Amino acid sequence: MITFTIDGQTVQTEEGKTVLEVARREGIPIPTLCYHPAVEPYGACRMCTVEVELHGRTRLETSCTIPAQEGMIVRTNTPDVYKVRQTLMGLFLSRCPNVPLIQELAAQYGVTEPPYPTDTPDEKCILCGLCVRVCQNVVKAKALNFSERGITRRVGPPFLEKTRDCIGCGACTIVCPTGAIEIVMEKLAVYKEKPLGPTSAIYVPSLQAVPRVPVIDTDVCIRFRQNDRTNGRIADACGVCQMMCEANAINFDQEDEIIELEVGAIIVATGFHMWDPTQLSQYAYGQSPNIITGLEFERLSNAGGPTGGEILLADGRKPESVAIIHCVGSRDHNAHPYCSRICCMYALKQAHLVRDKTGAEVYEFYMDMRAFGKAYEEFYERIQEEGVFMIRGKGAKVEVLPDGKLRVKGENANLGVMVSVDVDMVILATAIEAQPDADRIASLFGLGRTEDGFFAEAHPKLRPVETNTEGIFLAGACQGPRDVPDTVAHTGAAVSMALALLDKGEVTISPAIAWVNEELCSACKTCIALCPYRAISFIEEDNVARVNEALCKGCGTCVAACPAGAITGRHFTDEQILAQIEGLFRLPVEQLEGVGS
Amino acid sequence: MTTKPRATVLLCSSTGCLASGSAGVREAMSAELQRRKLEDEVQMVIGGCRGFCTMGPVMDIYPGGIFYVRVQPADVSEIVEETLIKGRVVERLCYKDPVTGETIPIFEKIPFYAKQERLILRNCGRINPNRIEEYIAFGGYEALAHALLAMTPEEIIRDVKASGLRGRGGAGFPTGRKWEATRMAEGDIKYVVVNGDEGDPGAFMDRSIMEADPHSVLEGLTIGAYAVGAHQGYIYVRDEYPLAVRNLQIAIDQAREYGLLGENILDSGFDFDVQIMRGAGAFVCGESSALMQSLEGKVGEPRPKHIHATERGLWDRPTCLNNVKTWATIPHIINNGPEWFRRMGTEGSPGTMVFSLVGKVNNTGLVEVPMGISLHDLIYDIGGGIPKGKKFKAVQTGGPSGGCLPAELLHLPVDFDRLTEAGSMMGSGGMIVMDEDTCMVDVARYFLDFLKEESCGKCVACREGIKRMLEILTKITEGQGTMADIERLETLAWTVQQASLCQLGKTAPNPVLSTLRYFHDEYVAHVVDKKCPGGVCRALITYSIDPEKCTGCMVCARKCPQTAISGERRQPHVINPELCIRCGVCRDLCRFDAVVVE
Repeated sequence: MITFTIDGQTVQTEEGKTVLEVARREGIPIPTLCYHPAVEPYGACRMCTVEVELHGRTRLETSCTIPAQEGMIVRTNTPDVYKVRQTLMGLFLSRCPNVPLIQELAAQYGVTEPPYPTDTPDEKCILCGLCVRVCQNVVKAKALNFSERGITRRVGPPFLEKTRDCIGCGACTIVCPTGAIEIVMEKLAVYKEKPLGPTSAIYVPSLQAVPRVPVIDTDVCIRFRQNDRTNGRIADACGVCQMMCEANAINFDQEDEIIELEVGAIIVATGFHMWDPTQLSQYAYGQSPNIITGLEFERLSNAGGPTGGEILLADGRKPESVAIIHCVGSRDHNAHPYCSRICCMYALKQAHLVRDKTGAEVYEFYMDMRAFGKAYEEFYERIQEEGVFMIRGKGAKVEVLPDGKLRVKGENANLGVMVSVDVDMVILATAIEAQPDADRIASLFGLGRTEDGFFAEAHPKLRPVETNTEGIFLAGACQGPRDVPDTVAHTGAAVSMALALLDKGEVTISPAIAWVNEELCSACKTCIALCPYRAISFIEEDNVARVNEALCKGCGTCVAACPAGAITGRHFTDEQILAQIEGLFRLPVEQLEGVGS
Repeated sequence: MTTKPRATVLLCSSTGCLASGSAGVREAMSAELQRRKLEDEVQMVIGGCRGFCTMGPVMDIYPGGIFYVRVQPADVSEIVEETLIKGRVVERLCYKDPVTGETIPIFEKIPFYAKQERLILRNCGRINPNRIEEYIAFGGYEALAHALLAMTPEEIIRDVKASGLRGRGGAGFPTGRKWEATRMAEGDIKYVVVNGDEGDPGAFMDRSIMEADPHSVLEGLTIGAYAVGAHQGYIYVRDEYPLAVRNLQIAIDQAREYGLLGENILDSGFDFDVQIMRGAGAFVCGESSALMQSLEGKVGEPRPKHIHATERGLWDRPTCLNNVKTWATIPHIINNGPEWFRRMGTEGSPGTMVFSLVGKVNNTGLVEVPMGISLHDLIYDIGGGIPKGKKFKAVQTGGPSGGCLPAELLHLPVDFDRLTEAGSMMGSGGMIVMDEDTCMVDVARYFLDFLKEESCGKCVACREGIKRMLEILTKITEGQGTMADIERLETLAWTVQQASLCQLGKTAPNPVLSTLRYFHDEYVAHVVDKKCPGGVCRALITYSIDPEKCTGCMVCARKCPQTAISGERRQPHVINPELCIRCGVCRDLCRFDAVVVE
């Protein structure tokens, strides 16, 4: 341990720490511009200059580079230190007169006007080299470096040309203290990446989840990307999260794992999928960054989103007018004929948010207003009172005008006229549909699906959460479009059903099930493929098919299909059925009335 | 060759003399010797720099030590005829003392040489640098043999420490301590590096040594490598020194051939080899940490030196880096012992120092003197004083980032500490003499203009500070300055000195600070009186003709590019100030001193 003093305060630190690191730890303010804990100190901005007394000699040194030494006396705010910083800020401010950070720091040292001629009023770069160091040593992309020297020194890619070395990670923009670097997306780049996607490779997938555990998106993470790009040659790029995490919780070796559990009941709650509006070209989705889906709007207006909850256009302006189009892909025979149920209400909520946050004009293009839930109609009325223009009629077409404005055309069915409005932003209330892999889930669990692709319940009125497979229940929108209150209620029901089943401790099964006479089984496996409940499995050791009695519903398909006649339906054996038929034939004709009804 | 030649012609073939035509002299001489069938009797040695570059090409003829200056090919046949055959001195080719007018045919007697103590430059010009045998014949590699076979590394370091030798690159760090630190540093792989990146404009000491006596550098380096425990050395030479690179490479090849480099040197079991690395001519690469970055193939930028290169230098290995002159001094210390070395120079700065004496001084060239010689002796006795009888105004020592010292300090002994105290520095030994026609503000501006181009730009103090100091100085020389500007300049110069990252930045304000200190009046004259006492700053001067002195010769009127001068033949002329662009042509041409600049 090293003991030394900073501003009269005795501090201790382990060997190898710089004076700045110790001062920061102790809460002693030292200004810096070129320092970042994730990269090696560089000593370019000289702002962290302090007075250091050691072995009787007093000198000015940069605290970011000088290691703490035994007996050192550090003074962070002497007249000389102040004078140096003041002069330096004068130099910075004259170079970059219009950078807020520089203006603020300069003002702290009493410099409010550039003391020297400002020949570069638009200059933002202070040549602190943070971007260069991050790109070179952290990201290891080596796309940025200094070129030229002295006063003409500047930062850029090799030969100041567009380079393929840049992986577009944005690390440089994050560390740049003055906002001098901007990532410019190539034309037609996916808007979703920015600003509506995750803003960092580490993010909390569900913000309201408990516990709030972040994940690393390996497609975006610099470390994984560099490793993939270079076939493992650069395996140690970045790692800043690991360096910074005090809890030491970052583990790059963690991989997805498959957990096998034995359970007594399964609740399928696989949810829904947002329908892709590019399938109907009249909505022009993807042609302008300001045509967004309802879900993207939710991200935009979320306080944890990329704009901190501000509703902004792609260029950062506030919208002055917004159109919301209902039934995009719903109630449409070119997409989904059904009503998605949730859109009317969220579209109204979004209209409210736009009015509330931006004061923009809102146009709602709707076919019918389906405000059927508790207090929904009242909410609809309130929105109308907020001054939202309600246009009854489907928004028919969105056009991107040359100036970037968006023109929405449609019919006002109440007035019987065609309408057209020019707006800044269009929100498409897109349909919800079954998950694209619903078929796989269905065959995995032996579930039926209705015409619209959602999972089929056992009975639409009487058994809304059960399925035809024993012990498997449905919850939420995987069964059909459903809003939050309905989903909660539906899920509660599914959980109750599952608990009721588990609570019994044992399962009562129907005695009418199939049974394989293993002596007759020819191991043709015909039955296995046919069983709708996946109740028959093939036992390799014995080379026979065997029925899982808990799963079998006694439908008899296998019984009828078995080419060897090896399967029998218990209580429905051939003998029993033949006996019944025979019995029927023994009855007089008049007594047959009513039999079998 | 069977017979021993009876005479030797030493012809300087260093860059300076090559520029003044020594290649032609060489061709003419060998043709002449061939024509007269004297090839066996007279041998010509193509030697290195003798330091008297202003008089180049120079030639020595032995026996006798006759020294001819400004030899041209046309003079060759006369030299052969008169001196080599008849044994007479060709007087018109001898050096003439500018003060007494006396002809001095013998090299040692020329004042320029007489006051020097040539130690590092001992062999320069006496031997052919491309023949290791000649170096050995003059006692070369004796020190290496002694060091490797009879001394332990610790003994060598002890002797170097005892000698008090300080780094000749400019900072004056004690060499022995640096070696000791490198030896003590942990690590199996260590390096020794020669800093041959001489970047000061007008300085050419290191170049001359590398060109004229490359083996002395190699010998010193090998001894140093043995002492610190290095097996690999690098010589960093700027690519603008092609002859130095060539001669060093030849020297390395020859040393390898003789077993003086490579494995098991002189059967001592010590292995060492050297590689030349060529720099791209950035001034900042003379700074040790930037030099090492450059050696590693990176951009040459200094880094903070809180961890010394002796612990973590080149490729993060312990590295001992010294200047060319420092390495070349080592063999002398080993041969003669530390006490002998200490007898030269001063207590704090023993030994000799090589200066390149340039500017407004009669004898420009390379001089080697004991430390502690006064500026006056250096400039007047060796340098022969100021040309045209002008008055001495200032001397700038230490290259572009050194300071300007005034006439009051001419008595100052030249050593590391005294120069630093006076606000200048030793630097690598550049010395620029200025006469009364120099404007000190303009001088400061000139050096900052150089430094502005050479600042690497890493730290804001140096990069932006120099630019702004230069702006203020330019403003003052243009007559736009205010007293507030001078004050701002002082604060700025102080900040750059205090807050810069490397020594280049920390010393960059020296020209400003030293001129502000010693020539404050000149600044005030520029700002308040709007006058340039040196008559240099064009915005502040007017040209006129003194009617008393003007003879009406019309030379100035004919040459004036602006035709601003009018007047009848034999009548005093007049300059039209409206047209005059203050180019100074008239003043340079006037043989009657009639052009007055105010």
